[in-house]
Amino acid sequence: MVVLGGGLLGWSAAAALRRKLPALRVTVVTLPPPPDALVERIGSTLPSIIEFHRDIGMSDGDAPLRANCSFRLGTEFQHWDGERPSYVHAYDRYGQPLGTASFHIHWVRQTQLGSAPPFDQYSPAAMMARSGRFILPETDPASPFAHFEYGLALDPQAYPQMMRAYALHLGALERTGGFRGARLDGETGFIAALALDDGQEIKADLFIDCSGPRALLRGALDQDFEDWSQWLPCDRLLLADTAPVAEPSPLDRAIAHGAGWRWVAQSLSRTSHGFAYASSELSDDKAARTLRGHAAADPQAPIALRQGRRPQPWLRNCVALGDAATMVEPLEWTNLHLAHSAIDRMVAMMPDRDCVAVELWDFNRQCAAETTRVRDFLALHYVASKREESLWQRMRDTAPPDSLAHTMRLFSERGRLPFYEDETFARDGWLAVLLGQGVIPRRTDPLIDAVPPAQSEQAMVAMRDGIARLVSTLPTHADFLGNLQRQAAR
Amino acid sequence: MGEWMVARRVVIVGGGTAGWMTAAALAKLLPGRCAVHLVESEAIGIVGVGEATLPHIRAFNERLGIDEADFMAATRATFKLGIEFVNWGRIGDSYIHPFGTFGPGGGEVDFHQFWLRLKQQGVAVPDLDLFSMACTMGRMNRFALPSRDSRRLDSTFGYAYQFDATLYAPYLRTIAERMGARRTEGRIVTVHQDGETGDVTSVQLESGEKIEGDLFIDCSGFVSLLLDKTLGEPFEDWSKWLLNDRATAMPCRTAGAVTPYTGVIAMPYGWRWRIPLQHRTGNGYVYSSQFLSDEDAASALIAAVEGEPIAEPRVLRFKAGRRARSWVGNCVGVGLASGFLEPLESTSIYLIQAAITALLELFPEKDISPVDRDEFNRLIDLEYDRIRDFLILHYHATERTDTRYWDYVRTMDIPDSLSEKLELFRRRGRVVKYREGVFLDASWVAVYLGQRVIPKGHDLRADAPSAESLVAGMQKLAAEIQALSGAMEDHGAYLDRYCPMKDAA
Repeated sequence: MVVLGGGLLGWSAAAALRRKLPALRVTVVTLPPPPDALVERIGSTLPSIIEFHRDIGMSDGDAPLRANCSFRLGTEFQHWDGERPSYVHAYDRYGQPLGTASFHIHWVRQTQLGSAPPFDQYSPAAMMARSGRFILPETDPASPFAHFEYGLALDPQAYPQMMRAYALHLGALERTGGFRGARLDGETGFIAALALDDGQEIKADLFIDCSGPRALLRGALDQDFEDWSQWLPCDRLLLADTAPVAEPSPLDRAIAHGAGWRWVAQSLSRTSHGFAYASSELSDDKAARTLRGHAAADPQAPIALRQGRRPQPWLRNCVALGDAATMVEPLEWTNLHLAHSAIDRMVAMMPDRDCVAVELWDFNRQCAAETTRVRDFLALHYVASKREESLWQRMRDTAPPDSLAHTMRLFSERGRLPFYEDETFARDGWLAVLLGQGVIPRRTDPLIDAVPPAQSEQAMVAMRDGIARLVSTLPTHADFLGNLQRQAAR
Repeated sequence: MGEWMVARRVVIVGGGTAGWMTAAALAKLLPGRCAVHLVESEAIGIVGVGEATLPHIRAFNERLGIDEADFMAATRATFKLGIEFVNWGRIGDSYIHPFGTFGPGGGEVDFHQFWLRLKQQGVAVPDLDLFSMACTMGRMNRFALPSRDSRRLDSTFGYAYQFDATLYAPYLRTIAERMGARRTEGRIVTVHQDGETGDVTSVQLESGEKIEGDLFIDCSGFVSLLLDKTLGEPFEDWSKWLLNDRATAMPCRTAGAVTPYTGVIAMPYGWRWRIPLQHRTGNGYVYSSQFLSDEDAASALIAAVEGEPIAEPRVLRFKAGRRARSWVGNCVGVGLASGFLEPLESTSIYLIQAAITALLELFPEKDISPVDRDEFNRLIDLEYDRIRDFLILHYHATERTDTRYWDYVRTMDIPDSLSEKLELFRRRGRVVKYREGVFLDASWVAVYLGQRVIPKGHDLRADAPSAESLVAGMQKLAAEIQALSGAMEDHGAYLDRYCPMKDAA
């Protein structure tokens, strides 16, 4: 096996391969990650990273203690709808079911009857995040803080270094020397070898392309690309880092803008600022001025973003991972998540040398199902906005992809969410965004009739008060991190 | 909000299992939303298919507040841990499709992958059955309720029931009527429709009585009085893959032990069921009329049953497939009125339940929304399509060459969705995963391996542990499963203690 790409993704893939399939020989041909490889650049990650670490044999403490990572509980969305208050998408339950109906149906009914406090007030992790506090999920299932998940905010230097050291420890080999190109077998179209600058060739049975959006290997086989820009309009990205703050928030902020959106994500190593925008609406200069105004730092050169995916990330003996397979804006922080998920899938489905089409078909099918729903979830943020600038108008006037249209139709009708395989975001995540952006179902589920509104109200007040009371007793994120380090030092 | 308070008048056309399951569920779970009125005629017989069920039925009964022992006593039910398939891969073969996992469940790599790896290395390993609680208990004729502690091995099986369907409907009727459902006896002679929309407005009985409604549920069985006869909804015919179109059924006295599993025995031109109840055993021969006459089927059945027959063989006719849409206008088909798949995997009552569950969730208000209707049809189609592929697999994955019937099914073209699944399993034992769907991984594995679809390779992750440690772990596991099953009560004795039927047949 040869992995091309020397960033955190290439080393993560190598570590997973060595750990799960120790009989395979894995060589990483290192390349400095290009600036437009978002998997390498975006530090905010989803909770699936915790499971990925466990799967490859790392302990939960490794990332925070050895790689300077801090925790994140979710994202606060501001100004996505001019009228409504900001909302938090946390990785947690929102409310508890009452009777036979889901909680959100009760919330919708209370809203229709008058008003109900914002939906995120019923999510323990969302409220913990808003108050800047953090604990790990509790083991007692009766605790309101037992069910949430958390992601990590990565240190852009320390984390790839840790992953490299770990992969080498597991027996992965490192090859430097500059990549010149791929040589194809004229008959089969398979990749026969990688040519290096020093004139040597590296042969392998499988080539794993972690080289970023240009897909130096996979791109040599074909250039098929499915473009999503009609639904995800941002085609530029600006990034700027500033010094870390003393009390980093576990809650990132995503703030909508007339031409896109910008974010602020605080961590132990830095505060990262970013701005995703449509070049049709805003010049690079103006965008840079905007970001400079908010971040008080000079942004780096703009990154061109072409959102979409390769319909077949795995073709013949070459698998594309990360930005080489799918490129999406960092909204909801799915970049590394999609890459991890593809690594797991690749390991689980590892075929024979001949890479028979039917086995790759299932890999590609699952990748497609997963990325389709991520695309839908991101597009939802635009479709469900009520902002009036022309970009936002245009997004509302564009017919959404079928699966998103189906989701919106069902939800707007009576608060149901359809079931899809390979969904990245939990039902409560969809609810947080839909209800947070003011998509209120027209009717409620008939199964709610058994519980009178007064009873819902009483239970909802108790949930809210319970969460608020408990949150105030928790340590701040900074205190939690400090304690963790002191405990480890002992 | 006001419009919600207007109860919808729901008219259920036809009693039987589908009709009374629907009536009981609507009356119990949506009391404020609908007034349920069921029309049935005692002159029309009940098909009563699906005496054997899937574990999902327990959730349905629980939602209706049904006490398990009481229900089992009333329907003369037995427990069911799976289905034994005999003579399918080759004559003489037997395997059990269990309700539950192989191995302890969970884990990143499926248990059967480790088993395959050892087999492929030439290591002698016990049959896969011996790593399933449900298979082992079944073979030993033992039963106990599963543990609720998911860390324990005896939590790794599920169960369903085998019961007398002609007694289940009356049992549900009592519940439905207690919850306020009305019943009218009579044969429907005319269905009235709105001249403009085509919606059904009322059904008229022989007596002249007219029953009006807002929503009509077609539970009229194969007749499909509303969907087919009235609305002319086309039927999607699947008989090129599932060619059986007849069944002849005949109960007999139970001769051997009351087994906690259903028997499905392949025959020269189809297959035979054996469903042990408390008071008798149900039998039937499902066959294709292209290959076998009704008379020959009946004599083959009489020759095959184990005990003294209790009734004459009775013939049923059907065709595999489903209506293009199950919900059309203001009519919803539930059960046979909307489609039919042979009961090879006991899916008849499951399909009824799936339709009811979807209807409860999508129950209409004053006007029926096309969004709800489309979603209902999408959900039902998904259920039918997945079961269809699973059934076809049983016929296609065979080495039998003894009749033209088996030659046909062995060599027929199968849907692409199935050939892809088969090929993936053949290569390295991979099962295409669904998070939801009636038959999960273990079911597919049981049928593939039980019918001699033997993978060439295995999941490479299964190579990580040493062969010695795997063999030792497997021996320990099989011994534990044996010990746990052996310590359980005999199935018959369990029934006598837990839910004896009230009076002998």
